[in-house]
Amino acid sequence: MNLSFYQDENTWLHRLDPRTKTIGVAIVFAICLCFNHPLYTAGIMLAVLLTALSARVLPLFRRMRFILALLILFSSILWPFFAKGPTILWQWSVLTVSRESLLFGIAMGIRLATFVMAGVILLGTTKNEEITNGLIKMGLPYPVAFALSTALRLVPTFAGAGATIVQAQISRGLDLESKNIFSRFGKLIPLAVPMFITAIRYTNLLAMALESRGFSPDGLRTLYCEPKMKRQDWIILFSLSAILAIFLYLRLALSIGVVMPGRM
Amino acid sequence: MNNSVSINSLSFTYHGHEKPALKNICGEIPEGAFIGLIGNGEAGKSTLCCAMNGLVPRFFRGNYSGSLTVGGKDPSKCKVAEMSKTVGLVLQDFEAQLFSTNVELETAFGPENLGLSRVEIGQRITRHLAFVGLEGMRHRDSSTLSGGQKQRLAICSVLAMESPVLVMDEPTTDLDPKGREQILSISRRLKAHNRTLIIADNDPENLIKADRLWLMREGELIACNSPREILTNKSLLDACGVMALPTIALFHAMGWQGNPLTVEDAIELIQKHNLVPRRRQISPRGQKDTRSNNPVLETRGLSYCYPSAKSNSLQDVNISINDGEFLAILGQNGSGKTTLAKHFNGLLKPRSGEMLVNGRPTTTYRHHELARTVGYVFQNPDHQIFAPTVYEEVSFGLRMLGEDHHSIERHVAHALSVTGLEGYENRSPFLLAKGDRQRVVVASVLAVKPKVIILDEPTTGLDYRHQRDAMDLLKELNRQGHTIIVITHAMWIAETYCRRTVVMKDGRIIADGDTRAVFADAARLSEAALCPSPLARLSNWLGTESLTVEDMVRELAL
Repeated sequence: MNLSFYQDENTWLHRLDPRTKTIGVAIVFAICLCFNHPLYTAGIMLAVLLTALSARVLPLFRRMRFILALLILFSSILWPFFAKGPTILWQWSVLTVSRESLLFGIAMGIRLATFVMAGVILLGTTKNEEITNGLIKMGLPYPVAFALSTALRLVPTFAGAGATIVQAQISRGLDLESKNIFSRFGKLIPLAVPMFITAIRYTNLLAMALESRGFSPDGLRTLYCEPKMKRQDWIILFSLSAILAIFLYLRLALSIGVVMPGRM
Repeated sequence: MNNSVSINSLSFTYHGHEKPALKNICGEIPEGAFIGLIGNGEAGKSTLCCAMNGLVPRFFRGNYSGSLTVGGKDPSKCKVAEMSKTVGLVLQDFEAQLFSTNVELETAFGPENLGLSRVEIGQRITRHLAFVGLEGMRHRDSSTLSGGQKQRLAICSVLAMESPVLVMDEPTTDLDPKGREQILSISRRLKAHNRTLIIADNDPENLIKADRLWLMREGELIACNSPREILTNKSLLDACGVMALPTIALFHAMGWQGNPLTVEDAIELIQKHNLVPRRRQISPRGQKDTRSNNPVLETRGLSYCYPSAKSNSLQDVNISINDGEFLAILGQNGSGKTTLAKHFNGLLKPRSGEMLVNGRPTTTYRHHELARTVGYVFQNPDHQIFAPTVYEEVSFGLRMLGEDHHSIERHVAHALSVTGLEGYENRSPFLLAKGDRQRVVVASVLAVKPKVIILDEPTTGLDYRHQRDAMDLLKELNRQGHTIIVITHAMWIAETYCRRTVVMKDGRIIADGDTRAVFADAARLSEAALCPSPLARLSNWLGTESLTVEDMVRELAL
């Protein structure tokens, strides 16, 4: 089963410098924070979706559709109880739901999902080594850059091990189909313990393999695929910064795209 | 000639262990030699391999004494990264060694660490990928490669560092026969490059071409001689728990002159001395009709496709398995063996077609109901062991199924006694050896008394003695009435233990029938990148029915 994020294609996003993509994602995160009106955040999400379409990473979104749906759903259900707005729709003892808080909840859900999507686009179009090399080029020390990118790379590996562990325990009679959420909680131990053991063994082996192949945190190292900033990279970074600046102006000076003033 | 490795009374005890892993090892390895380390699981082969590049004692701490020099350096005093310029080490588990996005970058990782120029790295990648036969896969994601290809990539990534000494720890375990042959061919060709090669293995067949064999037992170097001298000394091998070559075992048992290391030698000797006449060639019989009225497991036109895959992993599979069968499923990595087996206990549900257990589709069962009928032992025991004691581990399934206290006690006691784990009740399963952990897992599946037990690679990572123990246990369970299904890469296991063999390729069954008949059809097997074990090849040539040395001695004596 192939669980890694990277989609081996050759689109304009794949060809961009990893630094551009890393900084670009950071700017997109900031853009997401500009508005808290669901229509505006939905617009941003649509733009991210179109980018994903052109980078041919939509299959990754399909794979993560449950997580994305859950983020939007939970946020829309839970936020209204915590954020307070003036137009009360429903009230029961201390619990109130207002029109503003409902919209805010939806906006927050879309924002979270957009965060995840932007991150997934980065991982889906950038090889792990490119991310490492990009981070090094941005001045991060090699061990830190390597640790960061290895952590990202291990997520799918451990997800795969986790799936195997669930299957192994189901085969032994572990009943994960029962509806009772409390009894389910106690059933986590047979899954969590082997997960830890597997992770520890795996990282231990990985450390051995790395050292055996001459990995040394302080050593001078050639970057086989050295990232190079091209014209497109500068254009993208400039446009994204410009969009961020405009959005900040809209929000801060003109208060556009806001349902809950005073909240991010 | 210079010595590339010299060892002087080297001893090592792992931190927290009492028994030394290496005891007083002395030896010299000349430059350009091919040394085979042979011995059973506790012989200390891996420890010696790790000592060569300094993982012992710098990564694995412990009590280290004596001296070791590799290429003029002392591994215990250098950093492992520094030693990697002199010694390349290929670890046993190839999965964890591959961490890069694609084949090219995997190979580049070592040379990058050496600080070579980008042009030089590119040239090395091209050269070494061609050497191991992966030149067409340069941009492939390494997780999509087959087991044999992954192992070749792991070797290639170490070769690319061009260190004068190369150490490989059991490079051919977990590989199908074709993958194994490719690794052996790499090691033979490396000899021509004047690299010092050290290979640890517990199967003597893989080390026939070595210049010298080092036979190890419990951390000691017992003998050091040419393969012919060591491999023909059957009593010495037995004492060290190493499988004797079947050809030699046969010649000894029959009282024939000569010590053939290979099937070709054996055939030549038999012809030369006219030892035994060839019999009528057994014709590979047609597909056996295994349909019965009342099969335990039956598939009808079963097809399956993984959610993110483009093509079907199983394609129109029709098989029916009767109560009490002992069945092997063979095939390359990715041929669909495990996918099929996961249908048997309902972990996967067919995309089209039907999967019937006791005549009822698996879609109508709940998972834990199926666990009562079909037990599944996963390949890696670490994927399921979680309890603080063996007793709790083995009783887990029964507790999940809501059995009462008394019946749990009775069933666990039975499962432990069958698997030879009596007295282990209060031990921690995590601290047991790999072979014993495997037993715990088998016991935990056995405790719920399933009619059918499926085992995915039950002998992986075990040495010859423990493989035999594990398979003898399954044979006993089969005798007691359990249906046993084994997924395996080891041909001799199918030949020795299984009455029926199923061969899969690209999600289809390409052969299904009596084991002897399946192994008589070498052409069909090679389609699936398999090939009969040496003894089966000899038996095919002789035209005999037997697939084990004991049977063959009996048959030839008739």
